[in-house]
Amino acid sequence: MARFNVLKHELVPEHQIVDAKEEEMILRDLNITKELLPKINRNDPSIKALEDIHGPIKSGTIIRIVRKSKTAGVSVYYRVVESGVFK
Amino acid sequence: MKVLLWKDNRKNIANILRGGSLKYAVDFAIATHDLTEGYVSPDGKNFSLKVKITEISKYSDSPDLVKKKKSDLKTILTIESAVEVNPKPLSDFKLSSKGKKEVTDHATAELLEIEGEHLKGLIENIPANVRKIMDTAKEMHFELPLSVAEKVQEIRDGLTDSQFKRLMQRIKIDIDSKTIDPYEAVGIIAAQSIGEPGTQMTMRTFHFAGVREMNVTLGLPRLIEIVDARRIPTTPSMVIHLKKGVERDQKVVTSVIKELENTTLLDVSEIITDVENQTLSVAPNKERMQERLVNFDDILSALDSVKQVTLKPDNSSQTVEVKPQQESFRKLYLVQEQLKALTIKGIPGIKRAIARADRETGEYILYTQGSNLKEVLQLENVDPYTTYTNDIIEIATVLGIEAAREAVFQESERTLQEQGLEVDRRHLMLVADMMSFTGTVRAVGRQGISGRKSSVLARAAFEITTKHLLRAGLLGEIDFLSGVAENIIVGQPVTLGTGSVNLVYRGPKKE
Repeated sequence: MARFNVLKHELVPEHQIVDAKEEEMILRDLNITKELLPKINRNDPSIKALEDIHGPIKSGTIIRIVRKSKTAGVSVYYRVVESGVFK
Repeated sequence: MKVLLWKDNRKNIANILRGGSLKYAVDFAIATHDLTEGYVSPDGKNFSLKVKITEISKYSDSPDLVKKKKSDLKTILTIESAVEVNPKPLSDFKLSSKGKKEVTDHATAELLEIEGEHLKGLIENIPANVRKIMDTAKEMHFELPLSVAEKVQEIRDGLTDSQFKRLMQRIKIDIDSKTIDPYEAVGIIAAQSIGEPGTQMTMRTFHFAGVREMNVTLGLPRLIEIVDARRIPTTPSMVIHLKKGVERDQKVVTSVIKELENTTLLDVSEIITDVENQTLSVAPNKERMQERLVNFDDILSALDSVKQVTLKPDNSSQTVEVKPQQESFRKLYLVQEQLKALTIKGIPGIKRAIARADRETGEYILYTQGSNLKEVLQLENVDPYTTYTNDIIEIATVLGIEAAREAVFQESERTLQEQGLEVDRRHLMLVADMMSFTGTVRAVGRQGISGRKSSVLARAAFEITTKHLLRAGLLGEIDFLSGVAENIIVGQPVTLGTGSVNLVYRGPKKE
């Protein structure tokens, strides 16, 4: 028996950790600073599940979210891991 | 993998963590000796210290020992290393004795591994020929959505290269003309596009067709509820799918319903207080018991958990007499109150569960009144990956913010569709994105999006004007006049469309 993995739930889209090299490219592509990206909480269940698989995730890491979109087929979204409380 | 769990005080935990490799003497005996890993917890519920054990031996005194207690020591654990980890709840482990809520002293348990890495690989799985078309689009400086690229691929073979190129150019012109321009007020457009059909929605709640005692909020009230991000919706409900292989098994369905429905003693029986004899008599109602799938033994085992009472079950009349051991009116009253709230079975929060068979596939789907996602996901026969609830905040806490965004979108789209209204999906996506971009689900309105705008004047223009102005005055807030509302207030062109760019004209130099 295995533990339930949040990332496999129907409602949860793909979450991928973006490495430092790619991070720079993405920010340059979007012409944006990291603080302006949408946030995801460090304690978010999907981040916890990613940590279980890939080891600890620092705040400030960019997470790539690949959603199945009804209009575009596949859409890519980025969120930055944030440890702060609700602002 | 088998691991050792034990409870320890904070001082000892700090000692283990500081020591790194040490010999640690504990006050319990361990039956199995092949354990290599252990988890320590200060409260018996969340395990935050992971230790690597190299040897387990019987206790004998030696000077280099670190002791858990001063006396009564039984075993020595040779700890090689210790690290602090994210607290693991007890549900991550499978205990040998079932149903325990915490580890009081020590236990051996199976560490449950997280189920496989989820790699749907949506981008990686795009077929090469479709990807090629998308790359061609990129070379022509525009982004081609996958759904369009797939359609182009279908007809690609019937086209010559020059025809294909012309087609791509036409698509580019079409996409460019339909893309929203920079600084277009998309929020206002979305608000109007959702608001206008909203006026035609019904204000009533309908009954779930064919299912008794069950209704779901629909129409305008439901839409308001979604957008307000209420803690608990008026009619929380779940759709539960069963695991593959048992989805057509009627026996399993009945047992899952039994596990789900939260039934208290008062739901199935009458409790009569006999003041003269200082006893309480529990008289189950057969009809109600059948309805709730409870039998007399269930009631008895539930009553067993009540402390300081003597039970006298009467099997012929199917009643139980409960007598407090201590004779006093106060105690009698307390026991009576305890019995009223006694749960016989079920998951807290779930009032009713009804199974319906899908007409085509014969698969049973369970619908519930009340919602408790976290507990339902842990049931044995439930498929956790397709189970759904309409409580968005609950989805955010159990499945994460991205799932909540998807739920906001799906729920609002369904609510509108049920009323026969068609709103472009992109407007609803914008609402869902706005509600979730801070990492928590925020309401649209005073407490949420509008109340958190950075501009003081924009906030003051929305609601509770004096509060915002006064606060801004006290704190010395600065308004950069970068939004729309604040520029209207001061009488400047708004920062939309052409108003958002500054052009400087330098005329030809005069000779």
